[in-house]
Amino acid sequence: MTARLKTGGQVIALACIAGLLALLVWSVVHQQKAPSVGSMAPAFTLQRLEGPGKVSLASYRGKPVVLNFWASWCDPCKSEAAVLERDWTTYRGRGVVFLGVDYHDVNSDGRRFVSAHALTFPMLEDGSGSVTSRYGISQVPETYVLNRQGRVVAHLRGPITDPGFATDFQNAIAKAAA
Amino acid sequence: MLRLAAVMAAALVFAAPAAASCAHPRASMNFLQGQVMCPTCHTTLAMSDAPAAQRIRVFIAKKIDACWTTQQIEAALVANYGQGILAAPSHKGFDLLAWWLPILGVLAGAIVLAFGVWRWSRRKEPGEPDKPDEPADSGLDEETERRLDDLLARFD
Repeated sequence: MTARLKTGGQVIALACIAGLLALLVWSVVHQQKAPSVGSMAPAFTLQRLEGPGKVSLASYRGKPVVLNFWASWCDPCKSEAAVLERDWTTYRGRGVVFLGVDYHDVNSDGRRFVSAHALTFPMLEDGSGSVTSRYGISQVPETYVLNRQGRVVAHLRGPITDPGFATDFQNAIAKAAA
Repeated sequence: MLRLAAVMAAALVFAAPAAASCAHPRASMNFLQGQVMCPTCHTTLAMSDAPAAQRIRVFIAKKIDACWTTQQIEAALVANYGQGILAAPSHKGFDLLAWWLPILGVLAGAIVLAFGVWRWSRRKEPGEPDKPDEPADSGLDEETERRLDDLLARFD
């Protein structure tokens, strides 16, 4: 009886340790990483920020997409907004789609930001950050440029107004639209 | 005099909304800062000075001023940011596990500990004689034992 209890206790202890190890391995394996250049951009469907309805990334397949992650509390996003809007008006005629994703933000703040900066490209909200985390976003603003097949052409970690990024951004759009 | 009256009237007009009392006790900013997470730094608001946390603080302050209850503010934050914005899991569904598992763990530990102590207290030291109040098992059946008792009784 005692031996059986002892064995049972040992089995339970081992099972607990195995469970904890499995949890550790799972969390390490499932850590979100930014999709690398050349890989498929993670699919998503998000609520529109400024009105009802949802937008799916898949619905833009066949068009180059500029995916910009921002938040109203992010200062560099403010300086970037005007440049994004200008580029959007420049490239929209060539079939390039711009999508803004407002992340970890109070929706009303996000809407005020869009209005204050007179942004006209589609804006989506990701308050929970579930989509943003799949893109490995660690700070905003960050911008992805996707080609017509939905593959990542460029990932710019920082405002596109950064001196080093301005040319990269234009080149990436040209490459995505080719 | 007229100017003073005008200033006082203006002060009353502007102060009235700020001093307006709610129908229920106001939600506490300090309490909510311990209940709400900063979404970008994964600490509570109280421990964060990140821009996202500052925006949430402003949001909460506005809602407190508007007499929203703690539950209403938390619900609005969950609607905006998802359940992960709350520091503690909800008391519903799968989240209940987070509340009950530690309690069950403590209970299981207490049972194991009690069992161990009970066994330890009953363990005999090597060479220790049996306790006198516990009759030793002779290994004889009842009938033989009775007859043996009768035989021994003759020598008394």
